[in-house]
Amino acid sequence: MSVNGITDVEFGDTLPVFDPDTSLANVARFVEAAHWNAPRFTDHEAARAEGLPGALVPGIMSQGFLAAMIHRWAPKAEILYVDTVFRAPVVVDQPCHINGVVTDLDEATGEVEIDLTVTNEAGETRVFGTARARLPN
Amino acid sequence: MILDLHTHSVVSDDGRAKVPNYCQWIRARELPIEGFVLTEHRQFDFASDYSALARQFGLTILKASEVETEYGHVLVFGVTETLTQAFDFADIHLPLAQVIEESERHGAVPVPCHPGRKRVGMAAHIDALGVPEGVRIVEVFNGGSRGEEDRIAAAMADEQNYRGIGGSDAHIVSHIGRCATRFDGAVGSEGELAEALRGGDFEALSYREQA
Amino acid sequence: MSDAIDVEALRAAYLNQVFDEVEVTLDAEETAAYAVSCGEVAACFTDPSDPDFQAPPTLPARLHPSRRRPKGFPKVVGLGMDAGKAVHCHRPIRPGIKLTAKTHMHDIYTKTGRSGRMVFFINRMEIFDPDGQLLASADTSSVVRERPEQ
Repeated sequence: MSVNGITDVEFGDTLPVFDPDTSLANVARFVEAAHWNAPRFTDHEAARAEGLPGALVPGIMSQGFLAAMIHRWAPKAEILYVDTVFRAPVVVDQPCHINGVVTDLDEATGEVEIDLTVTNEAGETRVFGTARARLPN
Repeated sequence: MILDLHTHSVVSDDGRAKVPNYCQWIRARELPIEGFVLTEHRQFDFASDYSALARQFGLTILKASEVETEYGHVLVFGVTETLTQAFDFADIHLPLAQVIEESERHGAVPVPCHPGRKRVGMAAHIDALGVPEGVRIVEVFNGGSRGEEDRIAAAMADEQNYRGIGGSDAHIVSHIGRCATRFDGAVGSEGELAEALRGGDFEALSYREQA
Repeated sequence: MSDAIDVEALRAAYLNQVFDEVEVTLDAEETAAYAVSCGEVAACFTDPSDPDFQAPPTLPARLHPSRRRPKGFPKVVGLGMDAGKAVHCHRPIRPGIKLTAKTHMHDIYTKTGRSGRMVFFINRMEIFDPDGQLLASADTSSVVRERPEQ
């Protein structure tokens, strides 16, 4: 169920899990649009030659996933701030899940704070962060 | 009494959690912990006073530190002002022997944390550096560690006869309470926490499946 | 490598001074492709013909300064990785207008991680519209990981 305003939200609400497209084709599309084209993002072998576990989903793409998740949950949300910490690589072609929970809420301003994590299939946190968004009253 | 012994707030460079939100989260999710210890990276947070917040939420909020040594990261419980003058908490190359010696001299308790992790965990350094003298307790459940990393920690603790604690290593609000430590008695201050750890009547707990 | 880096000296010499200024105009189709590949579904992000078409909020993180470090900054050797991104959004960013992005070093510090000793460099890029209004700022935290033999 999507959220229309701040009154629809309670502290501790869990956002619907979002499984983003981490395929090589989609990452290639992203890095082209972002002008971030580099073999470490689009070529597993080249990435391994750099000592990486495989081609990487760029950090800025993971951050984009987090923002998209918030918009899917609350289409009218105005994102004010997204802060992400990259703890471990998100590898291209490996499924990951975006999770979010509301950890602060101010009904007067309509602002919510959301904890966000990117986890892999093993449930390990690869990226975490927080976002602040304003919802209509 | 159950305390999460390893948490970080926005005071740590990579912490993103505000302490009031930790409290609110514990109560909203009815987590089985009765308090937590803020173990900020490479510092002791003298400035923050959480006593009013602790009263408001009926929680115990204590402070400690996480410092960095050649054997990896080490939690230090029972930090005093004089201990912070005994060595540089911000130094990322502290000798573990010095951390242990000075901690004990000042009534504090050092506990290597996430010892099963590569590089920042103690187990990874034993082959090269040997078993360090003076370690009595290690963190056997760390909420940020992967399963096999906790297994390495537990195996090392068994082998070396270390006691084990648990902590979530939370950096964001929703990660608090993933692991914790149960004490037989009440713990209401940093000094009592150090005393309880020295006493040995505690048990590491993991709630990760429920979290 | 980083044993030779005097972090305090670098902080004193380089923090909080704008070292780069670039102008950029976002292309609408590329901006929409960026949003779609991230999973955005709202027309205001994915459809250039939408009357409220704008860049997705995290897009400022993808903009590069013309140089990553100030002039004269010592060369740092090692495996460089993104360590974090923070974006503050103040006003919508519309493709097709000339943006000015000014960058300064916001912080430098060291720590140890799972992979050994690391040096963190935080650049802050502030993005302005032609009227000089601040639209967004993007903090990029890059980390240089020392190789084990170093």
